[in-house]
Amino acid sequence: MEEEKFDCIIVGGGVAGLSAALTLAKANVKFLLIERGEFSGSKNVSGGVLWGNDLDRLVPGYWKSDEGYERFINHRRLTFMDDEASFSVDFKSRHFNTTPYRGIIVLRAKFDNWLAGKVQEAIEKSNYPEESFIANSILVEDVLIKDSRAVGIKADGDEFHSDMVVLAEGVNNLLTRKIGLQEKYVPVDYVATGVKEIIQFDQKVLEDRFQLDGLSGMSNEFIGYASRGIEGGGFLYTNRDSISLGLVLGMKDLRKKGKKPQDILNDFKEHPVIKDIIKGGELAEYSAHVVSTGDIRAMPKKIYMDGLLIAGEAANLLLNSGKAIQGMDYAMRSGILAAETVLKAKENDDYSSQMLKNYHIALEESFVMKDMRKFQSAVQFLHSEDMFETVPKIVCDFGKDFFTIENQPTLKSSSMLRKAVRKHSSYWKMLKLAYKGGRAL
Amino acid sequence: MKFYACIKQVPDLAGPMRVKDNELIQDSDRLMLNAYDASAVEEALVITEKHGGDVEVVLVGLEKAKETARKALAMGASKGTMITIDDGLNLDSAGYAEILAAFFKGAEFDVIVCGKQSQDTDAGLTGSMLAHKLQIPYASNAVGLDVDEASGMVIVKRQGDIGQEIIELPAPCLVTCSNDMNDPRIPTLKGIMQSKRKPFDAIDVKTLGLESSDLNSFIKTKVTGYRNTPGRKPGIKMEGEPEDIVKQLVDLLDNEAKVL
Amino acid sequence: MSILCHIAISEGRIKRSSLETLSHARHIAKKNNMEVSAVIIDVKAGNYVPEVKKFGVSKIYTIESPLFEHHINSPLIEALIKVINLEKPKVMTFASTESIKDVLGAVGSRTKAGVIPDVASFDLQNGTIHAQRPIMASKFLADTESNADLVLVSVRSGSYDVQESPGDAEVIKVDFDFDENNIRQKIREIISTSGDKIDLSEAQIVVAAGRGVKDEEGKKLIMELSEVLGAAIGASRSVVETGMFSPSTQIGQTGKVVSPQLYLAVGISGAIQHTSGMVNSRIIVAINKDPEAPIFDIANYGLVGDLYKILPLLIGQIKSAKNK
Ligand SMILES: Cc1cc2nc3c(=O)[nH]c(=O)nc-3n(C[C@H](O)[C@H](O)[C@H](O)COP(=O)(O)OP(=O)(O)OC[C@H]3O[C@@H](n4cnc5c(N)ncnc54)[C@H](O)[C@@H]3O)c2cc1C
Ligand SMILES: Cc1cc2nc3c(=O)[nH]c(=O)nc-3n(C[C@H](O)[C@H](O)[C@H](O)COP(=O)(O)OP(=O)(O)OC[C@H]3O[C@@H](n4cnc5c(N)ncnc54)[C@H](O)[C@@H]3O)c2cc1C
Ligand SMILES: Nc1ncnc2c1ncn2[C@@H]1O[C@H](COP(=O)(O)O)[C@@H](O)[C@H]1O
Repeated sequence: MEEEKFDCIIVGGGVAGLSAALTLAKANVKFLLIERGEFSGSKNVSGGVLWGNDLDRLVPGYWKSDEGYERFINHRRLTFMDDEASFSVDFKSRHFNTTPYRGIIVLRAKFDNWLAGKVQEAIEKSNYPEESFIANSILVEDVLIKDSRAVGIKADGDEFHSDMVVLAEGVNNLLTRKIGLQEKYVPVDYVATGVKEIIQFDQKVLEDRFQLDGLSGMSNEFIGYASRGIEGGGFLYTNRDSISLGLVLGMKDLRKKGKKPQDILNDFKEHPVIKDIIKGGELAEYSAHVVSTGDIRAMPKKIYMDGLLIAGEAANLLLNSGKAIQGMDYAMRSGILAAETVLKAKENDDYSSQMLKNYHIALEESFVMKDMRKFQSAVQFLHSEDMFETVPKIVCDFGKDFFTIENQPTLKSSSMLRKAVRKHSSYWKMLKLAYKGGRAL
Repeated sequence: MKFYACIKQVPDLAGPMRVKDNELIQDSDRLMLNAYDASAVEEALVITEKHGGDVEVVLVGLEKAKETARKALAMGASKGTMITIDDGLNLDSAGYAEILAAFFKGAEFDVIVCGKQSQDTDAGLTGSMLAHKLQIPYASNAVGLDVDEASGMVIVKRQGDIGQEIIELPAPCLVTCSNDMNDPRIPTLKGIMQSKRKPFDAIDVKTLGLESSDLNSFIKTKVTGYRNTPGRKPGIKMEGEPEDIVKQLVDLLDNEAKVL
Repeated sequence: MSILCHIAISEGRIKRSSLETLSHARHIAKKNNMEVSAVIIDVKAGNYVPEVKKFGVSKIYTIESPLFEHHINSPLIEALIKVINLEKPKVMTFASTESIKDVLGAVGSRTKAGVIPDVASFDLQNGTIHAQRPIMASKFLADTESNADLVLVSVRSGSYDVQESPGDAEVIKVDFDFDENNIRQKIREIISTSGDKIDLSEAQIVVAAGRGVKDEEGKKLIMELSEVLGAAIGASRSVVETGMFSPSTQIGQTGKVVSPQLYLAVGISGAIQHTSGMVNSRIIVAINKDPEAPIFDIANYGLVGDLYKILPLLIGQIKSAKNK
């Protein structure tokens, strides 16, 4: 068969890869997207919130049909926990109801497959309906490098050539390491384990329990007991008729304290507060996956080289600031920007790193790198013991005093706070922490 | 020899699925090539690679079934025909058999291979129904298939109740395949790329002279609802020294279960 | 109006599953005040009449021909069509054997019947058959119905109890003038798997081997265990693939469906495609070294450990347990 060359080969059919592919398909580029899973999303466990509205750029008016996503976010909650109590900051607002939504809850197994469908549609409308495609169940073994320029990929022992390669292989970025853009071994400090369960409910029960209306949904992040003294936190998202409940836990701390994520998740589910939330639900699915911590030091040395760009979590683009995990939106934007850079390179028929540096620049100018830089201290802050141990305890103790009313003289809340602080820490430490936190967030 | 494989798109049994108020819900829209059909295609490919000839595939389904037909082309089939039907008419095996029969009345073939059953319905009827409608001999549940160059006979090894039967069939004939007959090849990237350039007809069932009204009249059975199979509760799990747990087991079998 | 029950003969015996189905058909017939008749198709169909008479049928059709020495679909189809035309039943029931699976679709197509294969249960209510079918490797049950003039139902073994109900039946010998030359398929040879003397699908005890059984030594242990238990030998697909066990022993979605009193799954992980063939066993014992193996979720008794260590002990213990 005659050797055919692609304008671009995308490795990885996750959010980043599919976003890049959709952008290319619309711009009439001849590309190949390769996903090792039998389906896009079949290798993905994350059920989560896709923040922002980039999706509306890729699939205009996606929100008019309820196919791709589970629910849209109009209710958010941040919960501090100790071993018996929980203290929440709760926010719900009508402004969230206007389309395009600011955040949608998705199940990846479903969402990725849906997005792949959109890419397929775009391919069929493009100038290359027969020449561009998505290939599943294929593992890319290598990136072809010819005099220090990426010229294609290797799969099934065959070589496939292209002007551009976009690596969107996700957090286990073996190829990125193979070609030396990232150290072979990323220190465990920079990776966390995400564990997640899908718990099934009767839809009516779910909607009543979380006061959901139509497709509205809520996201709840947890700090404190959730991770049982392991750095990290918990999350809860409402799907159509199930919830995604899970934890993101620091790998290093886990190893140090020799704990199993699944056990911690089970304890979490036993917590009185969570117990009430999931009452009557049935476990439908358990899964675990590595996830970056969002530590900028974990990023590849370079996210571009001659003929190649790296997008999404393969480039460790992710922010876990405690108030939300942002990985998919980063993946989506970086995928789009990578594709746009490919288009520019194609226009000028210039695939040199000078040209491709534009991707780096665009990313730096976008919310992705701006936020990652801005909130590094928040990331450090979140991963400090004070944050996932001390603070939640203080907050909950304060809550206990403040909300308990007995037939005896009550303390001023200021002294309640002082009392709570002294029990778990020192004023001075907390002041410093408050200051740090204030600056970080 | 000219082979036709009848292939069907079925939900991925490994994907999340559940029953919700009598309906079967597939949480992710994962659809795939019926495993038994994959074996049928594989076997036909192996035979034609050995004795010459080619393999076409035919599929009755909704628009989205196209990707499944493509998969068969990516495996090596030379041409695909997709007969599209309207969503919502719940065909049973008899219905599909009628449509396939209408298609084959206008087709030249030596051997039609089917899967022994659909992974989703586990019915196992379409093959022999189709064979009857076409008035051709058939064999079901094949675990081996070959062609005798000399006599031109189709040799089927089928799994029977006790033991296996090796049967000779004259072409044209129909064979339904068990997935025990082979391990279907996984399409290579090259195969996938070629599949796009292979001839592929999508025809509406009406062009076979069948109106929805006819189709409905073919349907003889209907599914009124789904439910979970009553599950078994896990019993006693014994860990520890083999001696102890074996003793424990024999005691339980003898005195509790009383099966010894 | 009547229910016609096909009586399957295998190895000179009536298949228990046929009698299970017949027993249930009789209940349904009573409720709908219909009659039950039976048909025996075999080289020596007559021999089985006395046994079938014990089941309260009103008519017994027998079709005898040397053609039924071995299973060939075309003559069997002709024979079935013939009795259907004679009896004109509302419902015809079958035990879901491989031979029946082979012909059911063709017979249904010939008679324009509604066909509901491989059911776990069925009932007849004012002219409509309501059945429950395990689907998707028995993950779910599908409520399936048909109100066709004739409905063919094949029933999974072990779905009903065998209950006799004496009565005297009229025996009708149907002469079968089938021209052999109409048979377009020829049997070259029968590879009957020696060894499995006990018909797996009817066995009271089944010892099933999985990929955990890695070598001849392991196979020997399985053989010994089945000896002392008087059990039939079953197998998972992966171990059949290794060639160590005959394909006839495969249990599951592709293989046979069994429902013995006791099922020992040795070195079997418990994939749904396997369990779909054995979940209805009364007692399930699992021997597996992986404590997380899904088979433990359906086992009454689970032994976590190495089969090569456990089986010898088990064989010994059972021997002594039986001797006392
Ligand atoms: C438990 C958990 C919860 C999360 N919650 C959220 C959340 O609420 N919001 C949010 O925004 N983010 C969340 N994330 C993070 C988010 O899932 C990731 O950041 C995001 O999926 C990254 O997208 P990606 O396309 O870069 O990588 P992925 O989605 O991982 O996709 C990479 C794809 O490439 C394929 N692949 C890899 N190597 C090869 C190869 N060699 N050949 C072929 N294919 C290959 C993989 O199969 C995979 O499909 C969560 C993560 C976890 C683990
Ligand atoms: C369409 C379709 C139809 C199928 N039909 C069937 C069917 O009819 N029947 C069927 O069986 N399968 C069928 N399969 C295959 C099925 O999915 C599984 O692959 C198969 O059942 C696995 O067999 P297994 O459990 O023996 O092997 P494995 O899954 O490999 O399990 C081996 C087990 O042995 C244990 N083990 C290993 N060594 C030891 C030791 N020394 N001591 C104790 N335990 C040990 C291991 O822990 C493991 O759990 C079908 C698949 C498909 C797709
Ligand atoms: N919609 C369909 N299109 C093509 N072939 C089909 C279709 N439905 C069933 N078949 C064939 O019939 C076999 C299974 O029959 P059944 O179990 O009765 O559904 C499949 O393996 C296919 O070979």
